[in-house]
Amino acid sequence: MQLVTLRNSIGMDEDRDMVGRSWAVGIGIAAMLAVGTGAAGAQDASSWREIETKYLFGFTTGSGIGLEGEKEFTLESIARFGKRDGRYRASETKIEYEFTPSQFVQIEFGALASTHEIHNVTDLDDRRQFFLEGAFAEFRYLLLERTQNNPLSVTVSFEPTGRTVDETSGDRVRNFEFETKINADIEVIKNRLYAGFNTVYEPEVTTTSDHVTEREAKLSQSAALALRVLPNLVLGTEAWYLRHYDAANLTNFTGDAVLVGPTLYYALTSKMFVAAAWNAQVWGREVGNPAPYNFAEFQRHRVKLKFALEF
Amino acid sequence: MSLPRITSGIALLAAAFITMLVLAPAAHAQQAREIVITYKGKQFQPAQVSAPANTALRLRVKNLDAQPMEFESTSLRVEKVVTGNGEGTINVRPLAPGSYEFFDDFNDKARGTLTVQ
Repeated sequence: MQLVTLRNSIGMDEDRDMVGRSWAVGIGIAAMLAVGTGAAGAQDASSWREIETKYLFGFTTGSGIGLEGEKEFTLESIARFGKRDGRYRASETKIEYEFTPSQFVQIEFGALASTHEIHNVTDLDDRRQFFLEGAFAEFRYLLLERTQNNPLSVTVSFEPTGRTVDETSGDRVRNFEFETKINADIEVIKNRLYAGFNTVYEPEVTTTSDHVTEREAKLSQSAALALRVLPNLVLGTEAWYLRHYDAANLTNFTGDAVLVGPTLYYALTSKMFVAAAWNAQVWGREVGNPAPYNFAEFQRHRVKLKFALEF
Repeated sequence: MSLPRITSGIALLAAAFITMLVLAPAAHAQQAREIVITYKGKQFQPAQVSAPANTALRLRVKNLDAQPMEFESTSLRVEKVVTGNGEGTINVRPLAPGSYEFFDDFNDKARGTLTVQ
């Protein structure tokens, strides 16, 4: 009985903590946009150069495919923090080369490195590790281009990825993922305000060290707004709705979550930029678990940092 | 979904993708309208050029300055470095009517517009 009371008490503290974090995220976004809107109002955007939209929206990918002849070296890290209990920190870094061979096609490929620091998390083994874990390639095709009369631009992409380490647990596995994405964006105000949308289907098959084969899939939808406050600075916010299935054909639903957070893009020079985003889980549910939020398939927070150098 | 089916799916998508890559340059190979743009004294001459809609274009950029320049355009989705006293050719897909900004990426003040109508 005492134990149940203690667990309830911990759960309530956790819920209050999460509500506090959600408010912090909301206030952060509102403050960023308020500052951004103020700064933006003081600038005339009509003389600014057009901007590539691909990296303006945080975890949401814009429709941009670069310029024909352009090559880029990129480092992109995504860190994931927090499960229901214990300490959970994991990251995956893409070391990436991308190029645009035509005015409709972009190709990217590279290596993946991961880190896991897990301590006292239910259902996960304790570990602290770093691995060069796999490789990926991404193919993007511009389906619909923006014109003077059409502010909408749409790109489709598919990204096969192979890993030797499980993204969540850090276990040694053989994992193959095939992410298919629709990236759409709208130029709401010329050179100033952009809205981005992603629809993502991410089936994967994993063979564990015990030779057990597991299939799962994620289906996600995002919406993002990005405000260009200075020629080289874009601030924004995004929201993601994520669903997880224990089957590639989306038949065995296991839970879902909503993540929101601020985004930033800053061009250091015309050939170099950094982008960052932070998402916090503000709502979630696990099938068969009455506790709030979904920490089985998703995390409390995720942070993305990207550095790119064009040449 | 079995691994062979996934592999077949990827092979199919890769084939479709390679087909798109092959077809894209073929589209540009059709009768292209040539437009000459000169770069002199760190400015485009002319800075305003026009072209017909839905026609493939070949931009011939002549750099008469001693320094290299980079012809670039986000909306045209092209970039090309042209050496000092050199010349560069850029093939552009058939365009919808509108204004397409271009600039020298090495010199923020050098800008121009391609008007398609």
